[in-house]
Amino acid sequence: MPSDSNSSSSDSDDGNPNSNAGNIDQSLDAIENQLASITMSSRSPTTTFDEEEEVVEEEEEEEEQLLDQLRITNGSLNEKLGAEGVVDSVDDDYVESISKAESSGVIKESSSSVWRNASEADEAEAPLTPSSSGYAGERGSSSGGDEINDDDDEIGEVENDGVSGSHEWVSGKRHPNEDDASVSWRKRKKHFFMLSHSGKPIYSRYGDEHKLAGFSATLQAIISFVENGGDRVKLVRAGKHQVVFLVKGPIYLVCISCTEEPYESLKGQLELLYGQMIVILTKSINRCFEKNPKFDMTSLLGGTDAVFSSLIHSFSWNPATFLHAYSCLPLAHATRQAAGAILQDTAGSGILFALLMCKHKVISLVGAQKASLHPDDILLLSNFVMSSESFRTSESFSPICLPRYNAMAFLYAYVHYFDVDTYLILLTTSSDSFYHLKDSRIRIEAVLLKSNVLSEVQRSLVDGGMHIQDLPVDPASRPATVSSHLGQPRPAADSPGRNRDTFVGIGGPDGLWHFIYRSIYLDQYVSSEFSSPINSSRQQKRLYRAYQRLYASMHDQGSGPHKTQFRRDENYVLLCWVTQDFELYAAFDPLADKALAIKTCNRVCHWVKDVENEIFLLGASPFSW
Amino acid sequence: MGCSASVPEKNTTGRLGGLNPDNGGANDTKNLRVKLVLLGDSGVGKSCIVLRFVRGQFDPTSKVTVGASFLCQTIALQDSTTVKFEIWDTAGQERYAALAPLYYRGAAVAVVVYDITSPESFAKAQYWVKELQKHGSPDIVMALVGNKADLHEKREVSVQDGIDYAEKNGMFFIETSAKTADNINQLFEEIAKRLPRPSTS
Repeated sequence: MPSDSNSSSSDSDDGNPNSNAGNIDQSLDAIENQLASITMSSRSPTTTFDEEEEVVEEEEEEEEQLLDQLRITNGSLNEKLGAEGVVDSVDDDYVESISKAESSGVIKESSSSVWRNASEADEAEAPLTPSSSGYAGERGSSSGGDEINDDDDEIGEVENDGVSGSHEWVSGKRHPNEDDASVSWRKRKKHFFMLSHSGKPIYSRYGDEHKLAGFSATLQAIISFVENGGDRVKLVRAGKHQVVFLVKGPIYLVCISCTEEPYESLKGQLELLYGQMIVILTKSINRCFEKNPKFDMTSLLGGTDAVFSSLIHSFSWNPATFLHAYSCLPLAHATRQAAGAILQDTAGSGILFALLMCKHKVISLVGAQKASLHPDDILLLSNFVMSSESFRTSESFSPICLPRYNAMAFLYAYVHYFDVDTYLILLTTSSDSFYHLKDSRIRIEAVLLKSNVLSEVQRSLVDGGMHIQDLPVDPASRPATVSSHLGQPRPAADSPGRNRDTFVGIGGPDGLWHFIYRSIYLDQYVSSEFSSPINSSRQQKRLYRAYQRLYASMHDQGSGPHKTQFRRDENYVLLCWVTQDFELYAAFDPLADKALAIKTCNRVCHWVKDVENEIFLLGASPFSW
Repeated sequence: MGCSASVPEKNTTGRLGGLNPDNGGANDTKNLRVKLVLLGDSGVGKSCIVLRFVRGQFDPTSKVTVGASFLCQTIALQDSTTVKFEIWDTAGQERYAALAPLYYRGAAVAVVVYDITSPESFAKAQYWVKELQKHGSPDIVMALVGNKADLHEKREVSVQDGIDYAEKNGMFFIETSAKTADNINQLFEEIAKRLPRPSTS
């Protein structure tokens, strides 16, 4: 492998010649500890901390106070310019420790935060690494610290609910007893609200909507105050908090976040939240407000908390939420074709769309002539189905709206689960075709069983998709006889892959840790499987947030669009490459060599091309994108 | 699941008439097929009743029904007739109320469920009875079911209120508990007995 000699530099830094994954982790921890101790000695946490505490404490006070804080915070930020990242991390963790401790008194709060301060050193990412000489964007320097702790926030809550692991994540309303007077409620890092133009609450991520009537009215007052001046409020920054507003006719959406995500990302999330509401009620809900401006919408959304909270949860783990593309379950070409063929057979007869899905990934989908399905609709539809437990119990027939297809009207969805993960959605415009759809499903099921599609799906779930360790050596030099099947080289390449690790240290070749490839024509993306060192769900979430930021900066209306970006910070080297055909997002070891990283990206693109008929759904459907 | 295999062979031609497998539901004198719809406020336990009847299960975690779920169960009566129930378990949420006709249209049986601990759900049940009287099939068999009978210490709707309302409206009344399985099979057996039989030729 040509890159071995080059990557040996990172190897020596890692101090880990072993290929064993556990050792790699330990060595990484060791580095982090070292870096963290550097951090500790280079900052004075107590002073900065106190300033930040005020911001957190009074986050939801009167507007005037917000403005005061804005000034205070700006002042303090200016003073400690260099330490910004560190401060953020301390503060975020402070928030976390409080939300875990829930309802502890003021004294306790400060003591626990001091304790966190000290112990945090073990976990903290260093704000600077010896190698962080690369480009650091406007948020680059502060990106590391806060993200970790933000991860803690969500995961901590999940643990509070007695479940661990993101896949066992508990859906539904969390902390329903909170309201805007609760300390814990105020400390939440990311709030989402829906309210009506008359100020009536519709949805809140945390707390009981009815108890938040006053808070809702305040949000409404801010929005209408600005609107009365002939303007529109998009974003308010108050210290670490961003308040993002989105007005959709009579429905207002607000996100209050201290996660440092870009405005465009948060706005996109509000758009999806609105879309999810449309999935449930259609846009004709606006008519209710025309008839009665004070219309109370909460009862119409009864029982849908799980749908919204699962969507909000997916903002931090599902790249489809910001890429506006869908992903396919990796499958042998023949398998996917078999699935596509039977769906195609049924699609003609009154079925508008047929989707065969495994979790949030598409196995195959077809549409009736000239009907096309937007990736966001796929996301919202699959989120709706997966978060509604009743679909798993028995076959169902339910009205559903695809906002990008037709936001005004209901379609009817026949939903059937073949197994725990795999389900079929048949969409039709006809409200009385249940038995027809049921018959279609029975035919589809028979074919899927006969052609082993369902068992292949289960195997793919176990095997996963693209593993960076399997990134082929220079594609040009590869013997033509080697098939490019995803599954096949796996066992064969396993041992060389491991050997490569020995030289590289961690991750894939040349310090490659992870990548996402988005095909622009197909509106699909493929994401490599996570592997060391991006193992934990909070590391994964942090990486997705970094990609999200990268995506936003590449698509920035003001300064963009850009073609390439190379960004190095204390956590990663991030490389983004946008062409007419694809977008590639890749994360490398922070010590990775730039020239090698670019070379590796080329190899990734070749690799994706080689296996595209296994990872993408190609031309199987008469879509007119 | 359920009855998936048995449906397509029969009556593929008479299938176009909406959510009804065929007209009226009766096939022959010994084997009846009936469309049954469950209606009632959200959270009264419609899905629990169905799952207890069809699968013998009870899941205390509440799973909100979306749209309507479709399940089948066949029971044998003492006179050696079998009745296959094709059950539409509808969502109780307000947003689905306007879509209820989709599910109850052509139903031979309507089971209106309320929660004996919730007077609101009893009021909602009365709403559904009126709606069915107005828009349902004229010869529909209606049952009024007070569910959660195991929670008698929290009871807020008396048995007599249920009986009185059912009698006034020509309904069959029963109190059930999906949790303890109390009266669940009796409910469906009793419905089966009341079904109009096709006249023997």
